[in-house]
Amino acid sequence: MSDRSLPTILLIEDEASDATLLRRGFEKAAVRNPIAHLKDGDEALAYLAGVGQYNDRTKYPLPVLILLDLKLPGMTGLQLLQWLRTQKEIRRIPVVVLTMDDSASTVNAAYDLGANSYLVKPGDPAEIGKIVEAIQRYWIELNEPPPLVIGAKNHGT
Amino acid sequence: MAKGPVLLVEDDPSDARLIQRAFGKLDATLAMIRLTNGDDVVSYLSGEAPYENRTTYPLPSIVLLDIKLPRRSGFEVLQWLRRQPTALNRLPVVMLTSSRHSVDINRAYDLGANSYLSKPETAFQLEELAMRFQSYWLGINESPDLLGNIAKLNRS
Repeated sequence: MSDRSLPTILLIEDEASDATLLRRGFEKAAVRNPIAHLKDGDEALAYLAGVGQYNDRTKYPLPVLILLDLKLPGMTGLQLLQWLRTQKEIRRIPVVVLTMDDSASTVNAAYDLGANSYLVKPGDPAEIGKIVEAIQRYWIELNEPPPLVIGAKNHGT
Repeated sequence: MAKGPVLLVEDDPSDARLIQRAFGKLDATLAMIRLTNGDDVVSYLSGEAPYENRTTYPLPSIVLLDIKLPRRSGFEVLQWLRRQPTALNRLPVVMLTSSRHSVDINRAYDLGANSYLSKPETAFQLEELAMRFQSYWLGINESPDLLGNIAKLNRS
């Protein structure tokens, strides 16, 4: 059961089977943060920008962490990342790329566009649990997220 | 590819000792270089004297950077690094500081810090931090290539 008082993790992943494995991994790792799952780049942009139905931040809260696949329908993950880093309120949200693509050029491009970290999806589904656990232990439990993400606007920029 | 050492930038000798001890307990073979001020970090990363020899002074795979430092601050070092015209500008940087002020956290992310950690209160918590840091950044994270070409994509 997720706890709505905890910050949301945004999972941007078009592969249904990968998304299921990741969600199951989070459940197993006892992550109680709500997980918002979006399947395409344009939809993810709408969520982050808070347009249309996503205007309601009680229902669609800004995430404390974004797990981003790169190959997506609509806008690609790298395009979304590039857009995010230019936004005033939400530009600091940590983005962890989580993808099958392990080519050096893609890894480099992701860092150049401001990815905080880059993880390669393991070929073996059983290994996904380890990745999820590491994400939880590092990004959710240890890292200090940018305060604006939580919604407090006490510090102007 | 073997990952380079961790570059610890910490001016406080007792903090540095505690951090090095926590990492050493975890893995005695883990290479950690310590520098004590911002100017030395810039010289080290640029390969300027006395750090020209990359066999003796290898490029790190990640930097653990304090904010309050003599001469150049951690923020100034980070800003300098991200503005380098070479692939070195991708070097992952994790802030490790006693400040938990929102302004500092926001500034760190704005300048391109990959992550922000606050110094724990106890030795036990520090060991836990070292363990998580090591298994994440030296374990599962894919490091960027620091010697390759820089992509024709603009950092915003």
